[in-house]
Amino acid sequence: MKLKLTWLLTLFMAFVMQFSFAQEKTVTGTVTTASDGLPLPGANVIVKGTSNGQQTDFDGKFSIKVNQGDILVVSYVGMQTQEVTVGTSNTYNVSLKEDNALEEVVVIGRITQTREKSNVSSVKLSEKSIKNRPNPSVVQTLNGQVAGVNITTNTGQPGANSTIQIRGIGSINGDTEPLFVIDGVPVDQDNFRSINPQEIASVEVLKDAGATAIYGNRGANGVIVLTTKRGNFEQDLQVNYNGFLAYSTLQDNDYNVMSSQELLRYERFRGQGAGAGNSTSVFNPGNGSPMTDAQIAEAPNFDWSEFFFRTGVTQNHTIQLSSGSKNFSQFTSFGYNDTQGILQDSDLQRFNVRNNLSGKSSNGKFTYNTNLSVNYSKSNEPNAIGTSGINRNFIIGAFESVPYVTAADYTTGGDLLSPLSFTNTPLFLLDRLRTYTRFEEEVKIVGGLNMGYEITDWLSANVTMGGDYNNNILTRAEGPTSFNALLFGGAENPTSGFQEQRSTRAFTYNQITSLNASKAFGKHTVGAAVYTEYFKAHFRQFGYFANGLNPSTFSPGDGSGLVQQAGGLFNDEADAEILNAGLFSVFGTVDYDFDTRYGFSASLRRDASSRFRDENQWGTFWSVSGRWNISNEAFMQGSIFNNLKLRASYGETGNQFITGTLFGGLDNTEDFFTSTGGYGNANSLALAQIGVSDLRWETITQTNIGIDFGLWNDRLRGNFDWYVKETSDLYQEGPVSATAGITSLDINTGTLFNRGIDYSVFYDVFTPKTENGFLMTVGFLGNYNETELQDLPNAEGEIISGGEFSAGLGRNGGQLYEYYGLRYVGVNPANGELLYLTADGNVTEQPSVGEDRVWLGKNAIPEWTGTFQLDLEFKGFFLTNQWAFATGVDRIDNDYASLVNPDDVGQFNLSRDILRAWSQPGDITDQPSPTAANRNSFASDRFMRSADFLRLRFASFGYRFPKSVLDGTGFTNVSVFVNAENAITFTEWRGYDPETRSITNAGGTTLRGYPTPKTFSFGVELGF
Amino acid sequence: MNKIKYVYLLALIAVMFSCEDAYNIDQPGRLTADAAFQTVDDLELGLLAVYNQWDLTPEISLAANFCDEVAVGFDSGGQGFALYDFVMNAASASAFDFWVRNFRVNNRATLVLEAANLVDGSEDQDRYNNILAQLHFIRAYANFEMLLYFSPDPQDDSTLAVPVIDFVAPTDIQPSRDTTGALWDYINSDVSAALNLSTVQSDPRFVSTDAINALRARMALTRGNNPQAESLATQLLGTYGLANTTQYQNMWLDIDNTEVILKLERTLNDSYDGQVNTGSVNTGGGWAGSVFAFVTATLAGSPYFEMDRSVFDALDPADVRYDVNVAPTSIISPDYPNDPDPINNDILVIQKYPGSEGRPLMNDLKVFRASEMLLIAAEARARQGNLTGAATLIKQLRDARFGTAQPLPAYGSQQEAIGAILDERKIELVYEGHRYKDLKRSGVDGNRGVDRDPIACTLQSGACTLPASDYRFTLPIPVVEINANPGIAAQQNPGY
Repeated sequence: MKLKLTWLLTLFMAFVMQFSFAQEKTVTGTVTTASDGLPLPGANVIVKGTSNGQQTDFDGKFSIKVNQGDILVVSYVGMQTQEVTVGTSNTYNVSLKEDNALEEVVVIGRITQTREKSNVSSVKLSEKSIKNRPNPSVVQTLNGQVAGVNITTNTGQPGANSTIQIRGIGSINGDTEPLFVIDGVPVDQDNFRSINPQEIASVEVLKDAGATAIYGNRGANGVIVLTTKRGNFEQDLQVNYNGFLAYSTLQDNDYNVMSSQELLRYERFRGQGAGAGNSTSVFNPGNGSPMTDAQIAEAPNFDWSEFFFRTGVTQNHTIQLSSGSKNFSQFTSFGYNDTQGILQDSDLQRFNVRNNLSGKSSNGKFTYNTNLSVNYSKSNEPNAIGTSGINRNFIIGAFESVPYVTAADYTTGGDLLSPLSFTNTPLFLLDRLRTYTRFEEEVKIVGGLNMGYEITDWLSANVTMGGDYNNNILTRAEGPTSFNALLFGGAENPTSGFQEQRSTRAFTYNQITSLNASKAFGKHTVGAAVYTEYFKAHFRQFGYFANGLNPSTFSPGDGSGLVQQAGGLFNDEADAEILNAGLFSVFGTVDYDFDTRYGFSASLRRDASSRFRDENQWGTFWSVSGRWNISNEAFMQGSIFNNLKLRASYGETGNQFITGTLFGGLDNTEDFFTSTGGYGNANSLALAQIGVSDLRWETITQTNIGIDFGLWNDRLRGNFDWYVKETSDLYQEGPVSATAGITSLDINTGTLFNRGIDYSVFYDVFTPKTENGFLMTVGFLGNYNETELQDLPNAEGEIISGGEFSAGLGRNGGQLYEYYGLRYVGVNPANGELLYLTADGNVTEQPSVGEDRVWLGKNAIPEWTGTFQLDLEFKGFFLTNQWAFATGVDRIDNDYASLVNPDDVGQFNLSRDILRAWSQPGDITDQPSPTAANRNSFASDRFMRSADFLRLRFASFGYRFPKSVLDGTGFTNVSVFVNAENAITFTEWRGYDPETRSITNAGGTTLRGYPTPKTFSFGVELGF
Repeated sequence: MNKIKYVYLLALIAVMFSCEDAYNIDQPGRLTADAAFQTVDDLELGLLAVYNQWDLTPEISLAANFCDEVAVGFDSGGQGFALYDFVMNAASASAFDFWVRNFRVNNRATLVLEAANLVDGSEDQDRYNNILAQLHFIRAYANFEMLLYFSPDPQDDSTLAVPVIDFVAPTDIQPSRDTTGALWDYINSDVSAALNLSTVQSDPRFVSTDAINALRARMALTRGNNPQAESLATQLLGTYGLANTTQYQNMWLDIDNTEVILKLERTLNDSYDGQVNTGSVNTGGGWAGSVFAFVTATLAGSPYFEMDRSVFDALDPADVRYDVNVAPTSIISPDYPNDPDPINNDILVIQKYPGSEGRPLMNDLKVFRASEMLLIAAEARARQGNLTGAATLIKQLRDARFGTAQPLPAYGSQQEAIGAILDERKIELVYEGHRYKDLKRSGVDGNRGVDRDPIACTLQSGACTLPASDYRFTLPIPVVEINANPGIAAQQNPGY
């Protein structure tokens, strides 16, 4: 790291020298906003009549070479431009007033509105909230920053996909995630590992129907608009570097597992395993007789968690150059990220280049923007995480291995074959770590062009075209000398093992063409626009799976080790797939504003999807929204409110991602047969799909009423929103009588409500009176959401999925994914058996699974989620704290269940809790007798636990060097910072991370998963 | 600058894409239902897909795990514990699998049968007829399996069985259970159609006239038509004869078909070439041997189920069935009843499915064997009061298995004879999926029930015995059906 930084600094010095001007006079100053006196970063300071100019730094400071008498033009989007004549002074502090006609803008699709004139519920995050976070996924950094946006990440794999849900879960089988748009180009919502968060200038989250209507066919679950950085016209070259180094570690658990000595004594007591002298594992010093106390004392203690997990080191470097001339500007960014996962063999390396260009004709009537980002990433990703495979899932090795077997016991995979003992689990996995390869290489290219032409002063034509291309190549190989290859190979198959490679390409193209009109008549402003949108997506995949590898020539990813087919044992399989999907829309909008006091908008659209047939193909959706800017009324003049706005919107949007993914369920309307392997491996003709011919758009109808407020010049500011989302014609599995040959079909049925509130309030407790004065801001934001199911497709009005204890889908009037099952009440003191409740509330040892299961009123989706925030700034020091919380969430702690399973004795490590198991009549304990007859008979809520938590999600502390120190160094900005993610957590949950849960696996069970880490980082940011 | 060029540019882009290609999309490579079956060749391909739905591993798993064929192994990872404890309810995998799988077979066979109506079979009438015969047979087999497992008493026509679905049911169907008598009628009509249409007398891998008659023999015994059972079984026994000890051993390596009337082929790279869902009756298909072990049928192959001592003790080392079923790598305690550590000192590894074609645990699934016909005939004789005739057949079987003449058993009563036949079935047909239905059919008459070795089951949980009259010898209507078809809940089987 140190070496690299030195190299970079040298490089920058060269830049500075190369672009120096003959110095005449340097004036410095600070640009602030008039309303709150805060420094204004990114304001343009230009010497009038020249191209000499620059942007203010993070502290709003500038330093520019001028001649006396020159005029400095200071401008910023949404502010009134000011001109300052250079006199004898060397310091000019400029305070920009907000331009009412151009305050903060809201980008809703092709419509750009001022915040004041916006009718909709949306939240904007600036670059400051995103950059320098030690997390390779931009989506994960949004967590807790926007009220009503719930982000769940169920693995600690760097860059892994997260599930993002805005205002609850909008569908059951269909898509529940928002549409992501980068610079006007819709992109794959599940793939952000290749995108560099440091390139993002702002993120706008659109929540209500008024805002998302413009995205109609894909915006039903909200829209997240990402805007990348751009250069400004008339801007001198600016160079920025930032870099950080981060250390990630495993979060703590409270499972209280035993040491070797405790475990061996327990095994001796139970008469099973090495402690009893009858283990077949590598460790069995008793060798037929129970271990003595002396032998037990000598047993080694090996920490398998420390072996399989590590401190993951991340480094991230980004260099950005931006500049602009009169009619042209450019932004170039180069990024490199190397993130090690905390699990061995899990990492992400990423390389990004972005180039954004903007230009205009000399009269300014024709404008264009291009953006192009090329990303390459390579990640090692272990699979079989979450499975029960003791020879495949590293997590079992880390968390459940016996501590008396050590890494030094490993010799070769072959030696582990006989005797084959479960107790050797960590050694199987150690072998896998050495012999198994799995990595993905990905090229992601996102490019777009938009052009606009002002035909007259009130009419313009616009077009936005963009493509998103992903090419993912998976390589996976199990070496021929590995334990797993030998295990399943057998004597007749000495060159077992396999290699698989798979290339997956997806390209999506999106084009919006529009004609936009807007004209003011006195205090009335009227706008209207018509659009067409064309979307096409193409998926191509092929791969091979080759069985049989020659150990002498095998190298992962290379073909020289592949052996020829011999009698079918080394049969190689090839496969290929083509899928296409498309959408087409026509829509129109109208807007009306009166004196920035009242506003009204409406939209109407028709959408066609390739997923549906005949009369169901087209859907019609619409929205209306309105506002009343109370603070602009005459009677409010002079009040403490500088902003008070009431908003309301109502509308319908459509969802056509039946299975939640872009290429899933493309022709579910049809019946198909398929040619496939049949009896005796002969070719055959089998039923592939029973179609649902009347499949149609799922509709989300959303009502939103909100209020935006600002008091004392926005010293207290925020908003409240109340919403009801009703999803009708839900995509879900309709149960089908097995007598029809299938048990379920994905159909449109049922209704789901999400009701809740979003709130966000910020208050500047102290505002700086002077430059570098003390700033303290507190913020509270959060969401309450409750779900309710209606019209479930069966007579009972409830859907119970599967087993004895499960998250059912739910019941009419109940919540989504409500737990359903037997209620466990404790251990019978008389005999150590487990006790359950019958449906009537009587205690029994033998409940009836048919009759005694009940709805438990609990689920895995939190009710309240939110964040408390504290920001402090003083004399260049800054401190940010974000505390996140969730309440009303319950999960099944299967990891704990496994650690107190008395049947695992001798094979796996156990929690000390099991030492207090029932042993004689009269014992009052929570752990049943290890030989209780009903210990394996019933699944129940015994291991259901609250996963409510409060955690320090993010903390940052840093220092910005003052201008005075930087003078003459060539730097315009130098800051250093230390960040922490997930540093402190308060929760009753005993596992590693209360947030690691799976929503798709309805019920949020977790077992043997890859926990998310906690991370500390430090970094530097340099500007020239 | 000519500004009109911008207008041209934007207009050009606006018309560049026609809109229809965005939403009128057909995915490549789809075969629609009306184009699927045109010729007899197509029907044969359809038949092979129906065959591929036919699996015996759920029966093998249920009979072993629920009854007294296995004990929990030293290398168990918790597989099958609940079923071993006799936990059976509407949410159990057993109920799910037997109901859903057999109705799926019924549906797929019916689909191809209906498609066959539209195909001109006259070009190749024999082949066409034989395809229909096999489809009718497979459908009958599936419905017979459901009758055995879901009807509380297959001999009482008035009891409820499963709905009779002799058509391609619409997806909104919500049928009620039909009577056992109505289901027998459906099965019988399929069997007679198969018998009339079949053009192949004998074929170990595909349904033939012999296999149809073997099913008829089994059906007759189930329904209590003992003379017919005896006559059909005796006839087939005469055709096939019993394997000698070498042939018998080779049969389990899939290299001898002497006494195989029908088996389901399992071969490399077919859709069953993989591990089953270990420890679940809902096996999902897979290697038969993986119902008992993870990796191989040896001590080192991680046998999560071991042979119950009650089976082992009934196997004479001089009996070839000992060699076939007990893996040589087994560890046999010299003094089992007094062994201080029976879990680790007595490891009886099951070897009935050692593997074939180089693939461990993968073997063909034997549907009908000559020895089963012999045992059907013996039971039919016993039930008709011909105890000596039954004993003669049992001696015939034991002679063949030992390779030497064995004493003629003597049965003092019909109950004793039926009990002895059940005992013989337990070792002859062990791990072939018979024990559950044998106990249900004849356990009460023969005074037999689930009777596990007391040491192993006491160590596990104390679930050692279960009388054959227990309600759990009839499976419950599964939750999955009740969810879709709530009315059927009122017709749930007794006890659930």
